[in-house]
Parts: sequence; C-alpha cells; structure tokens
Amino acid sequence: MNAQPVRIAVVYEPGKKPKPVWFELNRRQHKVIETTYFWKDRLGDTTRLHFAVSDGEALYELIFDPSEQSWTVESHRIE
Amino acid sequence: MSIQPEQRVVMHIDMNAFFASVEQQANPELRGKPIAVVGGHGRTVITTASYEARKFGVKTGMAIWEGKRQCKDLIIVVGDNKKYTYTSSRIVEFMREYTPLVEVFSIDEAWLDVTHSLGIFGSAERIAYLIKAQIKASFGITCSIGIAPNKLLAKLASDMKKPDGLTVIKPEEVSRVLEHMSVKELCGIGSKMDRHLALMGIRTCGELGRCDEARLTRKFGILGKVYKQMGQGIDNGPVTPVEEDDEVKSVGHSMTLRRDVSTREDILKYLLQLSEMVGRRARRYGVAGKTISLYVRFADYFSSFGKQDTLSSYINQSDEIFKAAVNILDTVEITQPIRLLGVKLSNLQYHSQQLPLFPDERRKTLMVQAMDSVNDKLGDFTVTFGSLLATEEKGSHVISPAWRPDGIRNVNVQ
Repeated sequence: MNAQPVRIAVVYEPGKKPKPVWFELNRRQHKVIETTYFWKDRLGDTTRLHFAVSDGEALYELIFDPSEQSWTVESHRIE
Repeated sequence: MSIQPEQRVVMHIDMNAFFASVEQQANPELRGKPIAVVGGHGRTVITTASYEARKFGVKTGMAIWEGKRQCKDLIIVVGDNKKYTYTSSRIVEFMREYTPLVEVFSIDEAWLDVTHSLGIFGSAERIAYLIKAQIKASFGITCSIGIAPNKLLAKLASDMKKPDGLTVIKPEEVSRVLEHMSVKELCGIGSKMDRHLALMGIRTCGELGRCDEARLTRKFGILGKVYKQMGQGIDNGPVTPVEEDDEVKSVGHSMTLRRDVSTREDILKYLLQLSEMVGRRARRYGVAGKTISLYVRFADYFSSFGKQDTLSSYINQSDEIFKAAVNILDTVEITQPIRLLGVKLSNLQYHSQQLPLFPDERRKTLMVQAMDSVNDKLGDFTVTFGSLLATEEKGSHVISPAWRPDGIRNVNVQ
C-alpha cells in the first residue's frame, strides 16, 4: 500500500514527541491504542517522523513530514 | 597519569537479534514468534532471525527457503533499514553520554572505554545497567554487555550470556576464563584459522597462549605473536571513536536486483544508478579515486567475479565512474543472468573541486553541483539521469557492515 494522506488528531506537548490519537482511513476513524515504535529518517534535508501504531486490529505506519506539515499512512509488510 | 593495560575498563555492547527484535517491538503480533528479517523485495538472504527462530536452527545468511525448511512456521518480515539505522544512531548517542570513547563496530555492536568515566558514574556495571535501561525504555529491546580489561575480552564476555546478559571478566579471572575456552570464540579467529590451529593440536585459548611463539610465527608470520597474545587475553588495541578512525579507503555500493537481468540495457541502468550513488557519496565527502572495481554475482547465486581498473586521473563524477565500470564490464563475457551488481571507487585522495578552464568541462561540473544541491535538499535521485527515471527502486537497500552513524560511512539506506 502506498502512503496516503490522512486526517489525523495529534497531541503536541512541550518537550515530547507528537502523539497520534486517531486517524481517518477510507472514511473510517481508527483510534490509536498503542504507538509500538518511533523512528526518524531523512529525505534530502527534511527529517520525517515515523510512528508504528496499532488500532487494536491492525498495524499502521503514520509519517509526519515537517517540511510539508503533512501526515500520511502506510500499512506494514509481512510475508 | 598513564593507565596500565590491565587497568583499562572496556565494555562491549551487542544488540540481541537486533533487526528481528526491532520488528517484534514495532509489531506486537510478531512477539514470541519465529521471525526472519530479509532485505528489500524478499530476494536477499536472512539478515537476522529472532531467538524463537534460532531455536529451530534458522541462521543469518540462510536463503529464505532454507529458513523455512528449518522452521515451517517461520514468519518472513521485509526489513525496514531506516528503523534500524535510526535506532542504532540513538543507542550510540546514549553510549556517548557515558564516554566519548565509543567505537562503533557495526550497526549492532560497539565498544566503550569507560576507564575515565568510573569516577563520575561509580562503576562499569552501573554504566552497563543504565545503558540497558535507556535502550529498553526507549525501544523495548535488549542487549548483552561484556566488561573486561580490553576489547578482545569485552567482546568475548558479551557473547557469554545472550540475550540480555551482563558478564564481567576481571583482570585476575582472565587465565581461568580462557583456559578451556575454544579458540573459535575469539573475535578474529574464523573457522579457517580454527582448522589451522586444530592441525597444530591447539583447540583452546589456554593452549594457544602457551604455544611456543616461534612455532606460531613459522606458521602465521608476524600474526603468530598476535595469536599467542590473543590466547593469553592480551589486546592493547585502543577503543577508537569514529572521528579518529582510519581514513576511508573506498566508497562502494552494491545491490541485489529485484529480478535477474541479462540484457545490456538493464545491466547498464543498474550500473549507472550504482555509479551515481558512489559518485554522490564521494563528492559529498570531498574524495576522488583512481581505481574502479566492478563486482557481479550471477543468478545461480554461487558464481561471481570481481575486477578492477586503475585510471590515470582521480575521478568522482558519476558519469566517469559509470564509463570506467562499463569498460570493465566489456572485458568480461556475461554467461548467465545477473543477480547482484557492485561498484567501488578506491585509491582515494581528498579532492577540492576546482572549476575547469574549458567551457564544456566547466558546464558539466556546474551541472553536477546543481544536481547534487537539489538532491541534498529534496532527497537522492530527485534529479537524475533520464535513463534512470523509469527505474522502480533507486538507492541503497542494504546496510553495509561498514555502516556508521556519522561520516562518510553513514549511508542513507532505503
């Protein structure tokens, strides 16, 4: 699945990394039950934030691009 | 005040089944299950197996089918290198909070010289527990730590208890620990050396340490003395932080192709991509090289060749690297489809870019600089050669053993 832009609710607290609370995918709201992993990567001179999150049913990867101020979602690949 | 070698306190930290542990942490469904992490698009070998999979005999380096033969329920997870490089870089940052003397050995192993940190933090064991706790709290994963008077023994100690171990070898315990330990447990003694030593009747570190030095030197040359010292647990090698590390001797990239390729057109596309990756990294760090090497592994997996050519001048522009690699390719008969390609630039020197006098050369240099500057800002391959535009996957998808969290060896993997 390619990264899709998402509507998302995120809590920003001083001194802490952003905390995704819920996101909408295919017109369905998914509540974030657990952020299972967090990492960063670089695309050019932009540092993007990645959150592996679970809604209790499936695992998703939410990506925040600060240069675009945009959030996207991807599902995880397991074979 | 100078420190005697036996008074040094060195720590070796080894992340336990690193890639697999990260994936199990990121995906709770995988926890407690036999998993194997493989490279992108599933054509590479198993890079790490979880401890649950290791119980069935699944090992690093096995092909996926071999892993599944060992464990039918093995779950294959396509690795996400960016997770691992980020996690490793953060862990190295944790280590540097305790000492500036951190030598990164690979993405999941490092040595720390904490000799001069004990006054601040109390003891090496306390530092070890603090680092373990920091890693566990931040990433949920574990490591094994060895503490000893030198790097050789610290690594040996970290291997003694896995996962989540902490082993201390005190100076007065060295001979006792080594006496009956197999020589192949020592870092630097591989299976070939183990066989050579066995033929000499040497199987344990104790036997190696007691062996006549002249006998070892006759067999292994100047290394004979080193092997004897290893058997005695002597290693005076310093913990060398990355910024003091030896000069980089080469810049190279290789890739396992998404599918085997046999047409010249396809091979050249991958060679151009690899040349651009090598050139970009060489230019970023201001080095140029005279020797180009090409490495090819064929579809049967077992046959391969490597060939190199030394040029009359230093180069670091991607098209020049590409031309040199193609010249090597043209000297070889390609008898079967290709599975893996690699390009390396070596014989390096630091190189300050001067604008050439001749207009065509000058234009080309300015164009390369403009491309590099756009790609630095927006990401590798944002602006690239027209023939690469249709290529599905671009960039490095493998973490090389030489990867480091900083400097020229910090490759931004996909």
